[in-house]
Amino acid sequence: MVLLLLSVCSMHSYAQEMTVTGKVTEEAGGEVAGVNVVVKGSSRGTTTNDKGEYSISVEKGKILTFSFIGFNSKEVTVGSESIINVSLTPEATALNEVVVTALGIKREKKALGYAVSELKGEELVQARSTNMANTLVGKVAGLNITSTATGPGGSTRITLRGNGSIDNNNQPLIIIDGIPIDNSNLGAAGMWGGGDRGDGISSLNPSEIESMSVLKGATAAALYGSRASNGAILVTTKGGKAGKGIGVEINSNITTDDLLITKFKDFQYEYGMGRNGVKPTTREEAMSSSSFGAKLDGSSVIQYDGVSRPYSAVKDNLTKFYKTGSTFNNSVALTGATENITYRLSLANMNNKGLIPDNTLDRQNYSLNVNGTLSKNLSILANVKYIKEKSHNRPRVSDSPGNANYTLVNMPTTLSVETMKQSMLDDRGYEQVWGDNIYVDNAYFAATQFQQDDNKDRFIVSFEPRYNFTDWLYAKARVGFDKYFYNYTAITPTGTPYQPLGGFDKNVQSFSEVNSELLFGINRKLVGDLNLNMLIAGNLMKQVVKQDYISGSSFNIPFFYDITNINPASRNASYNYIEKRINSVYGSAEFSYKSYAYVTVTGRNDWFSTLAPGKNSLFYPSIAGSFVLSEAIRLPSVISYAKLRGSWAKAGGDTNPYRLSLYYGLSGAHIGSPLAQINGSTVPYAGLQPLRSYTYELGLENRLFNNRLGLDFTYYDRQTKDDIVAASISGTSGFTSVLLNVGQISNRGVELMLNYDLIKNKNFTWDISYNLGYNKSNVVFLGDGLESIQVDNPRSQTAYVFQQVGQPFSLLKATSFVRDDQGRIVYNAQGLPLKGDLKPYGTGISPYTMGFTTNFRYKGVGLSVLFDGRFGGHLYSGTNALATRYGLSKESLVGRETGVVGEGVNEEGEINTVSVPATQYYENLYNFGEPFIYKSDFIKLRQVILDYSIPARVFGRSPFKGVSVSLVGRNLAILMKKTPNIDPESTYGNGNAQGYEFAGVPTTRSIGVNLNLKF
Amino acid sequence: MIRKIAVVLALTLGAGACTKDFEEININPTAPSEVPLDYLLAQAQLQISGSAGDPGYKVWRGNFIYSGTIVQQLASVDDYYAGDKYTYNADNSGAYFADSYVNSVKSLADIISQASEDPADVNILSMARILKVLQMHIITDLYGDVPYSEAGKGFISQIYKPKYDPQQAIYMDMLKELDEAGAALNASAYVPTAADFVYKGDVSKWKKAANSLMLRLAMRMQKADPAAAQTWAKKAIDGGLMASNDDTFKFIHTEGSTASRNPNSYNLGIGRGLIKGDNFQWSKTLIDMMKARKDPRISIISQLANGDKTVANQKGLPNGLDKSSGPNGLVTKTGDGNIKNYSRPTDLMYDDDDPNILLTFAETKFLTAEAIERGWATAGTAKDAYEAGQKAAVTQLAAFDATAGVVSAADAQAYVTANPYPVAGTLANKLTQIHSEMFILTASTFNHYEGWSNWRRTGIPALTPTNYPGNLTGGVIPRRLIFPISELAVNEANYKEGVARMGKDDFLTRVWWDK
Repeated sequence: MVLLLLSVCSMHSYAQEMTVTGKVTEEAGGEVAGVNVVVKGSSRGTTTNDKGEYSISVEKGKILTFSFIGFNSKEVTVGSESIINVSLTPEATALNEVVVTALGIKREKKALGYAVSELKGEELVQARSTNMANTLVGKVAGLNITSTATGPGGSTRITLRGNGSIDNNNQPLIIIDGIPIDNSNLGAAGMWGGGDRGDGISSLNPSEIESMSVLKGATAAALYGSRASNGAILVTTKGGKAGKGIGVEINSNITTDDLLITKFKDFQYEYGMGRNGVKPTTREEAMSSSSFGAKLDGSSVIQYDGVSRPYSAVKDNLTKFYKTGSTFNNSVALTGATENITYRLSLANMNNKGLIPDNTLDRQNYSLNVNGTLSKNLSILANVKYIKEKSHNRPRVSDSPGNANYTLVNMPTTLSVETMKQSMLDDRGYEQVWGDNIYVDNAYFAATQFQQDDNKDRFIVSFEPRYNFTDWLYAKARVGFDKYFYNYTAITPTGTPYQPLGGFDKNVQSFSEVNSELLFGINRKLVGDLNLNMLIAGNLMKQVVKQDYISGSSFNIPFFYDITNINPASRNASYNYIEKRINSVYGSAEFSYKSYAYVTVTGRNDWFSTLAPGKNSLFYPSIAGSFVLSEAIRLPSVISYAKLRGSWAKAGGDTNPYRLSLYYGLSGAHIGSPLAQINGSTVPYAGLQPLRSYTYELGLENRLFNNRLGLDFTYYDRQTKDDIVAASISGTSGFTSVLLNVGQISNRGVELMLNYDLIKNKNFTWDISYNLGYNKSNVVFLGDGLESIQVDNPRSQTAYVFQQVGQPFSLLKATSFVRDDQGRIVYNAQGLPLKGDLKPYGTGISPYTMGFTTNFRYKGVGLSVLFDGRFGGHLYSGTNALATRYGLSKESLVGRETGVVGEGVNEEGEINTVSVPATQYYENLYNFGEPFIYKSDFIKLRQVILDYSIPARVFGRSPFKGVSVSLVGRNLAILMKKTPNIDPESTYGNGNAQGYEFAGVPTTRSIGVNLNLKF
Repeated sequence: MIRKIAVVLALTLGAGACTKDFEEININPTAPSEVPLDYLLAQAQLQISGSAGDPGYKVWRGNFIYSGTIVQQLASVDDYYAGDKYTYNADNSGAYFADSYVNSVKSLADIISQASEDPADVNILSMARILKVLQMHIITDLYGDVPYSEAGKGFISQIYKPKYDPQQAIYMDMLKELDEAGAALNASAYVPTAADFVYKGDVSKWKKAANSLMLRLAMRMQKADPAAAQTWAKKAIDGGLMASNDDTFKFIHTEGSTASRNPNSYNLGIGRGLIKGDNFQWSKTLIDMMKARKDPRISIISQLANGDKTVANQKGLPNGLDKSSGPNGLVTKTGDGNIKNYSRPTDLMYDDDDPNILLTFAETKFLTAEAIERGWATAGTAKDAYEAGQKAAVTQLAAFDATAGVVSAADAQAYVTANPYPVAGTLANKLTQIHSEMFILTASTFNHYEGWSNWRRTGIPALTPTNYPGNLTGGVIPRRLIFPISELAVNEANYKEGVARMGKDDFLTRVWWDK
């Protein structure tokens, strides 16, 4: 087979020339592609192909230099042998670390003018989570990952360097092998409840991942334009590797999930079910959600099912209801090569059983990666992924309907979930109402009779031909798509107390995004030591979402759950077609001087279909520079490496389609007349233009003491202008929000990474690393005369997330007590606190994130421990508010016997002496947000991995090439928190409004075993 | 080669800049930009009624949880029914306000804006104006000073934070609207028929409804501004009022989709199952009064949980009690703690296809009687008006059920005889008779908003407040509802101005007409 093209310069022939061929391998055995093979002292050279092979014409006696980033260069004098195989040794230090940057271009880290963090796939495989994004927590400075309390398969919120937009997506672009994937949430809980139906990144199979590059800011991601204004996460999956025969890798993982918080420590266990200090005496009376009854005495007291049971505290409801969850992960990968093709085929299967009875999540990932060399100039890379995901009964969270978690934080002290299990249905098969609020379901009825099923078939495909015109000019096309088909069915069963005839909802949705890119690249020496690396490209993006909704209420035949059984008059159907396009052209030029000065300039122009004609184009330039001090000048020997970097970029973004004008919605008919109303609750804006952001960053990388101490420091500044915001307005305007296009937000912060090799010798290594991110956000401007906008609120409607000028992003406000000059609470004549204004209590997003890792390795045994923490944020806890309202919290013990005399003054300024019965006092307290706001600070023991790799020599001639076993614990302990009863990481939404939790799925502690076999 | 590359490159860049179809792409293909006004008018009516939007949402909270229990037409031992015990639930107290503006008020503002542009739409315009008054007066009666002149105009006039208008100004404008809209109705212009869920396009009935509503609003101002009340009452009566039960203003509902179903029925029956769930019952105040008056409606509207409709067995639930055996427990106070033994609405009152009755011929007659007694009207005698009202009130329940809801003419006459008009009595005696009738009338049609408003103006019947521990008013019957907290979040300055003008945002502050 013909090998790579000879250099243009080597077309003349010399009498003494001979053709030398060979293969370049790395010490460990694999082939190395892209190695520069140069005839020393000439401009003649070539590079190795994907199988590490090269061919070059050279005179006998000349020296061939083999060089590749990350390896020591090697020189070989050409003798009479026409085959020269070379083995390269990796560089002792990681100075020449290579990272994947925008558009998948591998670059030396030292050439970069911005911060990029890379994570290796191995760690993601061992410490698995059902949502891969959770495994990134604590590992990258400035990467803020908020998991949601929504059970397995729920979404996460990922932000880099704060939130740049009030209303638009603030999460980074997720790119898999060059293909942007949709990471939007397919359904989240809101104030009225619901479940989280997952996002895009949660579906990835960690075993397939070679590496992840986190491009933290707009400067790193400038080439991706608007869609990566919040940074980007580039996922590179494993490809085929040439080798002997077919390589097989098997990975098995078993993980169990248990409650991290097994008991509500701050609940009271002294008073039982009932109200006003009395025990229930009748069945009707026992239908109460309150624990304001009598003092527990163990006497026999009637319960909602008519059975009398001891009037004593039930303390193990949580551990009784929530089962041990389990996850099985198995994957097999085959890698191999023929003469012209390398490939990797992988299959993975994941089965998860959730904590809540009947909740399951199953996922299969299929992946094929083929790289073929079709002719000497043409190669093709094809990547096909198919992900099948299926979930049954995803937990409902937030408000009560169908939410078992809500019941668990609200049921009386003396009621056992066992009773709920036994007395779930009445003789009609309907739910036996157990409390006084028909919207709070029996926990088992909620978990097992309500039905939610969803499945998703996703295809991520890319096809990437590359043609080399010359050795310095190539063209690459890339056609890629991300398509998924999603099907969701929810059944409200017959006999649901608040909807006795039941209901049916079905959503069939397809998503498609196609990107077609054509790129030309130039890579050549200009003059002397100056090199140019340039590309120019165009991309067409087309995104189409089609949604079918079918719903109805009232099943004609009870317990038969199909749309055909819904009264035809109460069936609803609707269809949405949502299309969006972005056309782009972009280019970049990188100049390097010697090996220490680098400048990269990029430019991109996007045209958006979603914005107003004439205002829908935006150009983003960026410039980045890097200067490696330690190579340019002589530094004291204690400094092994020092680099300064700086960059500036403009980025921007658009919004959702169809927001320029008002539409109407047709909603069926009533006695022969069609019905219609204004669609949506947002006042449209015809003049929408792109939002823009300007980012600069400065950084310093240092390695000291013979590379043992590493330091990486970044300062960044990101200013958003013309933010497109759906600002909350008074509902009395008929609308609840209006589109504004003038918002300004500032984010400034620092990122610090430190690592130190404490001990490093042949058999034992011990290193520690620490990362810290701090982001100071500030809402600068919202609109003329607009001081603040309300963004969201939880079901209690006593806490609100605001964006307010001069305040940090996601400001938490809540209904407060009225206080006098001395800060004393003011009570009305009835002894109840007066309701004051909404007061600010700080941001719901923690500005400080940090992680600390320590790794030990002794021969084949490794131990890695990760702690992480977040500081400076606040949280409204709906769970604790409910616990007080229903008399479950310890706080509600005050005044049980005597009544509550609130500490403070009356409206006349005299000390309050009016006593209010405890039941009514605490029920009324629910109308206040202030008492239930906490600092959300925490420190967690996030992850411990103990692994053992059986040394290769053990296997001898057996087919095994490697076996490793690891024991992994995740979320092992909360070492510090300020929120009673709940984990501060328990928000139910992954939207832009952060700062409250409400009856979510409890956090779990996971322990697992991972086995990896290679042969 | 270079040329080829240049061509491909130029095509690439050219394609990037090609955006000529972007405008078309960004038009939503599944939602129209314009729809016939009839469709909007149709939906607006269901939004006022409460079946469209979030079905039954505002009705449950505004009508049942608060108004009906506060005014002792309903009662509940369930602490969720906060009006029964004068306790505060922020969400439920603010719900009628919050739901109405984003649904009915929004739609009506849109229709009025569009229909004003074409004289051919005069009837749609006039109906929308009358409907808007119907909706807005319930809102202002419940809350006091509220957004009115700037309400619902987020898109039309870019008003995002509407000011709170003084209730007096709202009343004056509503009366003017009824006057103008009633006069503008024109049978020879286009008349919506299928989209008119009240009168099926009968313009003359709309005129009568406008005048009858005008009479209601006029009488409401009796204490606050007697002169204006007199002027408008006379204008209303002179303009022509409803003449029979056929003229009664009621939204027609049907079985089928939730938007079609009667929203009260949705709550009591198919949707939320409140009656079968024993969530609330008829108040003792109401049942005792009906029994004392030998009201033939009692066996139509009231039954025990086991279906027993025997009049003698009907027992109203006292207000202000809980289901415990404690000091305020039902069993403690009455000796009968079994909630099933208390009277609740009969099945026929909450069929999906029952009409939602909001303004009756009977009410018009009772208010006419009062107007005559006050010397504000001269047409006929107060006694005749009162008796016509009584007969209309007891016979109109046929609207719920054409057989079981029927009261015979003889029974109606017997009722009149049993509750004669005190022709020789004092004005107070007469008003007590008239407004006792109003109390039963509004209760028996689930029009609790009106029941509460009319009671606040007249104080009839005399109600005994409850004083459940921990209530927000200190044992005083509430005079208004508290605004939704969200207004403090999104419209703070206007909200505070409105509240400051009234006094406090609490249950005891009296609205303008409630002096």
